[in-house]
Amino acid sequence: MGDDANFMDKKKPHKAKHSGVKAKKKDEKKRKQFPTDKQKNPKAFAITSARSAADRFHRKQDLRTKKHHIPLVDQTSVDEPPPIVIGVVGPAKVGKTTLINNLIRNFTRTNVTSINGPVTIVVSKKRRITLIECNNDINSMIDIAKCADLILLMCDASFGFEMEIFEFLNIAQVHGMPKIMGVLTHLDAFKNAKALQKRKKLLKHRFWTEVYQGAKLFYLSGIQHGEYLRNEIKNLGRFIHVMKFRPLTWRGQHSYILADRMEDITNQETIRLNPKCDRNVVLYGYVRGIPLKKDSSVHIAGYGDTKIDELQALADPCPMASKEKKRNLLEKERLLYAPMSGVGGIVYDKDAVYIELQGSHSHTKENSEQSKLVKEIIEKKETFDQQIKNQEFRLFSDGDVIKSKDFQEKNNESESEEENLSENDDDDEDSGMDSEPENYNESGWNPNEDDQEDEAESNVDESDEEYQEINENNDNNSDEEEILGSNWKEGVADRARDAYLERKSNNQSLMKLVYGKYDQKGLQSNLNNNEGESDDEIGGLFKSVSKKQSQLQQEKQQKDEDDSPFFESYGDGIRNWLSDENKKLLANHFVTGKWKSSEDAEQLLELDDMSDNDSEVYGDFEDLETGEKFEGKESMNDKNATDDEVTKDEKSQSRKRCRVEEMNMTRAELMAKKMKLKAKFDAEYDNPELKDSHHIEGDEAFYEKWKAEAEKQAEINRKEFSGLDEDVRNEIEGFRAGLYVRMCFKQVPCEFVTNFDPSYPILIGALNMNEENVGYVSGEVKKHRWYRKLLKTGDPLIISLGWRRFQTVPIYAKREDDLKHRYLKYTPNHVACHMSFYGPITPQGTGFFAVQTISNNVKELKRIGFRIAATGSIKEVDKSTTILKKLKLVGTPIKIFQKSAFITGMFNSELEVSKFAGAKIKTVSGIRGQIKKSISSIRADNSGKHLSVEPGTYRATFEDKIKISDIVFCRTWFKVDVPQFYAPITNMLLPQEKKSQWEGMKTLGQLKRERNIKAEVDEDHLYKPIERPPPSFKPLVIPASLQKALPYKDKPKKGPLNPKQKFEETRVAVVHSPHEQKVAKMMNMLKTNYIAKKNKQKERSNAKYIEKIKAKQKEEINRMQREKEVKRKIFKALSKIQSKEEKGEKTTGGKKKHFKKKN
Amino acid sequence: MAEATIKFSGSSHMKHKLILATLAGKSIKITDIRSFNGGVQEYEINLIRLIDKLTNGTKIKLHPSGTEIDFIPGILHGGSIEHQCCVEKSIGYYLDVLIAFGPFCKFPIDAKLKGVTNSFDSPSVDHIRSSAFNIMKRFIIEEDAFELKILKRGMMPDGGGEISFKIKPVLKLRALQLVKTGMVKRIRGTVYSCKVSPTFSNRTIESAKGIMLNFIPDVYLHTDQHKGKSSGLSPGYGVILNAETTENVIFSTEIVNMEKGILPEDVGKFCANKLLDEIYRGGCCDSTFQWLMMLYMALGPKSVSKVVTGPFSRHTVTYLQLIKEILGVKFKIESYEEEEDDEDDSQCYKVMVACVGLGYTNLAKRAL
Repeated sequence: MGDDANFMDKKKPHKAKHSGVKAKKKDEKKRKQFPTDKQKNPKAFAITSARSAADRFHRKQDLRTKKHHIPLVDQTSVDEPPPIVIGVVGPAKVGKTTLINNLIRNFTRTNVTSINGPVTIVVSKKRRITLIECNNDINSMIDIAKCADLILLMCDASFGFEMEIFEFLNIAQVHGMPKIMGVLTHLDAFKNAKALQKRKKLLKHRFWTEVYQGAKLFYLSGIQHGEYLRNEIKNLGRFIHVMKFRPLTWRGQHSYILADRMEDITNQETIRLNPKCDRNVVLYGYVRGIPLKKDSSVHIAGYGDTKIDELQALADPCPMASKEKKRNLLEKERLLYAPMSGVGGIVYDKDAVYIELQGSHSHTKENSEQSKLVKEIIEKKETFDQQIKNQEFRLFSDGDVIKSKDFQEKNNESESEEENLSENDDDDEDSGMDSEPENYNESGWNPNEDDQEDEAESNVDESDEEYQEINENNDNNSDEEEILGSNWKEGVADRARDAYLERKSNNQSLMKLVYGKYDQKGLQSNLNNNEGESDDEIGGLFKSVSKKQSQLQQEKQQKDEDDSPFFESYGDGIRNWLSDENKKLLANHFVTGKWKSSEDAEQLLELDDMSDNDSEVYGDFEDLETGEKFEGKESMNDKNATDDEVTKDEKSQSRKRCRVEEMNMTRAELMAKKMKLKAKFDAEYDNPELKDSHHIEGDEAFYEKWKAEAEKQAEINRKEFSGLDEDVRNEIEGFRAGLYVRMCFKQVPCEFVTNFDPSYPILIGALNMNEENVGYVSGEVKKHRWYRKLLKTGDPLIISLGWRRFQTVPIYAKREDDLKHRYLKYTPNHVACHMSFYGPITPQGTGFFAVQTISNNVKELKRIGFRIAATGSIKEVDKSTTILKKLKLVGTPIKIFQKSAFITGMFNSELEVSKFAGAKIKTVSGIRGQIKKSISSIRADNSGKHLSVEPGTYRATFEDKIKISDIVFCRTWFKVDVPQFYAPITNMLLPQEKKSQWEGMKTLGQLKRERNIKAEVDEDHLYKPIERPPPSFKPLVIPASLQKALPYKDKPKKGPLNPKQKFEETRVAVVHSPHEQKVAKMMNMLKTNYIAKKNKQKERSNAKYIEKIKAKQKEEINRMQREKEVKRKIFKALSKIQSKEEKGEKTTGGKKKHFKKKN
Repeated sequence: MAEATIKFSGSSHMKHKLILATLAGKSIKITDIRSFNGGVQEYEINLIRLIDKLTNGTKIKLHPSGTEIDFIPGILHGGSIEHQCCVEKSIGYYLDVLIAFGPFCKFPIDAKLKGVTNSFDSPSVDHIRSSAFNIMKRFIIEEDAFELKILKRGMMPDGGGEISFKIKPVLKLRALQLVKTGMVKRIRGTVYSCKVSPTFSNRTIESAKGIMLNFIPDVYLHTDQHKGKSSGLSPGYGVILNAETTENVIFSTEIVNMEKGILPEDVGKFCANKLLDEIYRGGCCDSTFQWLMMLYMALGPKSVSKVVTGPFSRHTVTYLQLIKEILGVKFKIESYEEEEDDEDDSQCYKVMVACVGLGYTNLAKRAL
């Protein structure tokens, strides 16, 4: 007992589920049992404020509409989807290979020693995955981003996110973001738990800002024995299991293949003779995206555009698990297919395939089967026809073996037989039938087709007559012209009887008639060629030879025949439809005739009435109708009832008789109304929640309808061709996603094979109509914020767009408000601008990004920081461009009149002027004008002479008089051509060590740097010492009248009044008489004497003055000394008095003294 | 890079070869055009000129012998154009080009075509307006996407007619499933006459209506009498009858008469019988525009389109081959029986065609 109790104690406590099915169920139960608060007290939840209620409502609607996605027609196949591509991306030494190894081990329990190229494994019952490692080359990163459905972005946590990761995220974003899961490794490098936690958080948030908030980030905490922890890998595996994917635009419009196997099937002898000869290469892979058409051209990333030479679907090398109902995969169903890395039975070598004979592995059988299959494929190469011939199959398990060889003969026999029959019947009858045997030979033997044929043959055995009929009908149907021509008169009822058989045998032949031979010529000639018929029956080769002559003539006629789109009239032309027998044929094509039972309103009503009796529901609806209508209906019903009673026997006849259309209409309308009401009721009944949640009726009707349409279309897409024979289906629909195909490419350069490296993904993308052409592509582009430099117009740029990677020369432009594209020399910072380049035509809205270099050079990387230079999207495609560059033409006036002027220097010839006549011009000062007409000469100023002027001088008018110093501008636009340069990156053809260093056209700057070329400097651009001559001003002129008015001091004083007469000229010469001479001498002497006297006197007075000064100075000094003495005495006395006072104060107190001192 | 050119020989279906090549962006080469019969005709040159006007960057090389054409298509451009059609063919011959290109042009087409509006060599503008527009409406959902106005009528041989045709580009067409033909609910028609007495039209109406009334009471034919400038340069009259079914399928037939010897009653009767023929053949499109149906189906999105038509005309068979060759679309063609088999003896053979569209999108249009 005690033990028991202990055991009870240890029992795991119950853990209530919070989510999932169980929790939901419980919730539901609870809700039903207890009324909610709202139900209990509805008043408390009543709307109190209309405003807040409106806000709440808006918010709710916002949240709801946010969840809506544009409904897309689902292209994925449900039964056999292609494996999901999982790209493992990250910088070097981060643990990518280890992760792949561990994942493979987790899913298949096998160890793969070396991994090369994609590895496909079966993960669960509904899912296969293809794992591919991305090497550290930007080319591979681009291709992986384009084809992967899920990216495992690996990061060394001890180091943090590296530039490659951010680059990759940008690449992925541009090409349609696949799902991205982050994986942090090297977490064991952190010894401190807190630091680890901090690191994790930091990285997580950084990752979220890059991808989206809440993106999944995995932590692989460490490595044990060279492997990640098993539990963590298991968890990662589970996430991969259940991952859901959103369709991506580009991949929803294109098919693509990630090749997992490559083979060179060139003749060995030709290679021996010329090792550099073009090769025939075969690539294998799963078709992804949308169905791949046989004749679509493809782009092999890193190689270029090619056509697929051969395309075949092969048996799946890694098939999905059987459909049996069981929980887990069986051990043998956990398949692994990796031909490039030497697992899955085959070892891949450059030009040979080795089949590995399995040793002790658990799924030996599977592998041997696989290898057998592969062996078969390899052997198939040339002997396909032979194989077909020798093929045999059994219709019934105990039946005879049917050999295709036999069958073909038999077929011919039956054909000839039939032709005999038809010939007996009617010569005109045998129409397109004889083209059939040819077609059989052409398209080869096909088991499924034969199934049908066999059925037909078995019918032959039953009754010859019937067979004949069938064949007749065959002929007729296959060429409807005949039916109308002659057969319509005959009893058509027989035909209807055999409808089913016909359809079976017919459909193929109808298609063959149209497509059997592409040219109509053969078919037509056969149609008309009745005489040649007897020769035809010889069969095989003879036929074509005998026909040749007449055929040629026919062909010639056919070639130049006038094509009329009208339906040809036959035989007796238009028949007379008024004759009774014809009238009957036609009567039911009109609304007045008999309707189909599913559409006949009367019958429907009857049906309805019957159901009405059964259920009460319908009665309710009728009550709901408005009064008038209700009555109308009532009377109708009454009438019907009486009708039914009276003419029960003649009902079938009454149906046929003509009815008044209006009545018919009203009935149909009523019917429609009823159906509508019923649908409404059903909808309400089925989901009552809609009503509860304040749903406005019909507010999502548009979206729902759209969604339903898309779903319906997807259903049709899936079902329409599912019944067809696989070959025909592939031809009509293309090779669906999920098929494993073999593609043969011819004339591939030998470097593709010799330099093949499986670590580079081979992405084969199909091109849609028009996309293989090149033209001018323009898109909106923004320089990446992290890219350090500006991008320059005319510098080559490597662009990844669509499937392609190519180099081109872009021209940047800005779209002005008038939709003009103005040329820009550099990309602006942080603003999008237009970019035009010559490149592949791509649909609008396709994203692209540009890099300037793809090299991995560390030095180069350091210089530019971030390789992605710009990202953008395509806006327009055209065959010409209209980028304009602003151009200012400059001219100068040579002669100015009132408002017109002659301008020269702007143009070089009269022609140029006439081209610009009427153009707007403007001077620097802003005076606007117009170009008028060119002139050849102008009249000189004074003389009436005509002076010839420079060619290109013209007359212009302005809104005001211009100055001779004005410069005249004419603003024009100059068209800039986009260089026609487009070079796809061909890194697949480069040798291994150069694969990541593809170098195309270099930029001008690069070339100059390499060759050390410096730009030649224009002399004018150099600085020179400034020389400034001293300014010379004009003299000031004051008018005479003003001068007169001026006061004398302000009057200019400039010499004599009469400046013309010089001063010297006014003087008169004086001649002295002797007396006068004496007087003059005397006067002279006296003057001299006087001067001498004066000088002596001056000297004396000077000396006196000096003496006086000296005396004064002496006295001054004396006075100073005296004063000094007096001062000294006074201060002495003063100090004595002070000292006395101090003594006295000391006895009274110190305060006073202090105060005094201060004062 | 450049696609290998597709080679054809012979003049037949040259128009459609050029149309398909332009849509597909594939270059074609046509050799041996009427090698002993005068090479390329004037109306074909005129057609090439029209194509050149509608496209940008098209390169056409016509060899001096006139028996060989190299055609490298450009981008569909559209815009407003004015074109004098050759009077050897009616405007309908040229309008086919506009109809096929219109939805995929960069700019809406606003075309003014001058020439012969009604003749018997190609579908007339009335015929196109009724039945071709009916088909286009099913692929282009947009309202008022296209419009055709007959400004003047012009008959053979001198023409003088004028029409204006407008069509807006779309980004892509939609997939179409059209199986039900429905039953004819009304018959409408026009009798037009240019430079002839109005009695002709009245007599034609009477006889045509007389036949139609045997089957359905809702028959309404109106006259379109032209005089003076709007009647073109040559005399003639004709009748066009449209039958509309409950599923809005329209069948049309037309008879143009320019000769004096034929009685108008006969014209009316003949046209009515021809329409009945067309109704008997059934299907979801007019037999004349089966090609248009196939073209739009092939150019549709990457989804299944499925349509039931009447028996193929010879033209359609060739057209399907051309589509296969140039666009690479193959159709599934089956004979079609309606589900109800009680007494199906009155049924003419019908064909069910189904295909997966190309996913063709309007590459030329500018995304803003």
